[in-house]
Amino acid sequence: MATDPIHQFQIHKLVPIEVGGVDFSFTNSALFMVVTVVSASAFLILSARGRGLVPGRWQSAAEVVYEFVAKTLRDATGSDGMRFFPLVFSLFIFILFANLIGMFPYFFTVTSHLIITVALAMIVMGTVVFYGFRRHGLHFLKLFTPSGLPAPLLPVVTFIEVLSFISRPVSLSIRLFANMLAGHITLKVFAGFVATLGSLGVAGVLGAILPLAATVALTALEFLVAALQAYVFAVLTCLYLNDALHPGH
Amino acid sequence: MALRLGADFVAGVLVGAVFGWGFDALLGTSPWGLIVFLLLGFAAGILSLLRTAGLIAKRPGLDDDAAFRRFD
Repeated sequence: MATDPIHQFQIHKLVPIEVGGVDFSFTNSALFMVVTVVSASAFLILSARGRGLVPGRWQSAAEVVYEFVAKTLRDATGSDGMRFFPLVFSLFIFILFANLIGMFPYFFTVTSHLIITVALAMIVMGTVVFYGFRRHGLHFLKLFTPSGLPAPLLPVVTFIEVLSFISRPVSLSIRLFANMLAGHITLKVFAGFVATLGSLGVAGVLGAILPLAATVALTALEFLVAALQAYVFAVLTCLYLNDALHPGH
Repeated sequence: MALRLGADFVAGVLVGAVFGWGFDALLGTSPWGLIVFLLLGFAAGILSLLRTAGLIAKRPGLDDDAAFRRFD
């Protein structure tokens, strides 16, 4: 029971709310989203409060994050894309903090649920489609038609391009969700081995050394994955926004 | 990186499968829609996979892309 690796992902209602037959309950997932937003805001607001010309430790950390995301976005989309900086920065910070907060024992990992990552991916794709059509009109559809292609091939290739475009939010959301889910399950399973083997006497305790070492190594790996997946999500967001800014060429 | 490529490919096939299944359910052409869309989804998955790996131009028609020139 204590070593059930799926138990950590269960959602339970903290404050049941129902509006017109629709469930709007405040769940543990919602609670940790609030924790994520509050801690991320606190980090950025408090660290930038000093406004030192020579930044202190906290202000340095905040500036590094800011410049890192700004550089990623500028490299992918040019200075034209900096209008999307608030979106990309919010997504990056939210996912990073949600992933890192999920690393605390007994905490809930918001990004380990597909519905959350799908919502984040749909924000990105919605922005790409909306902005692409608003800025380029029907020229945005050039994204799907490679130039210099023989006419008979055009419908097939265009259709494959459309499918490839639709699969983007799918892969964007599945990648983040699968990484967090798989990582946390692996961690829990290996940690569960330690507890189970440890209750089997001397030989068991000796045998438990191996999974314990694996758990320590996996914890380090999970911290890497937490930061890396936030980065990957931000980079892909930049690439997709680039398509909205410069379709076809 | 490995999972990134895997997710790209799987997403293409998944989208193809869902489209084909929906197509069949709407028009009652089972199983042809599923077969055709699954193959197209396979192609779309390979396409986005190759784009992620940087083996072909990121955007269609961008023949002078640096990533493309490497394989000339």
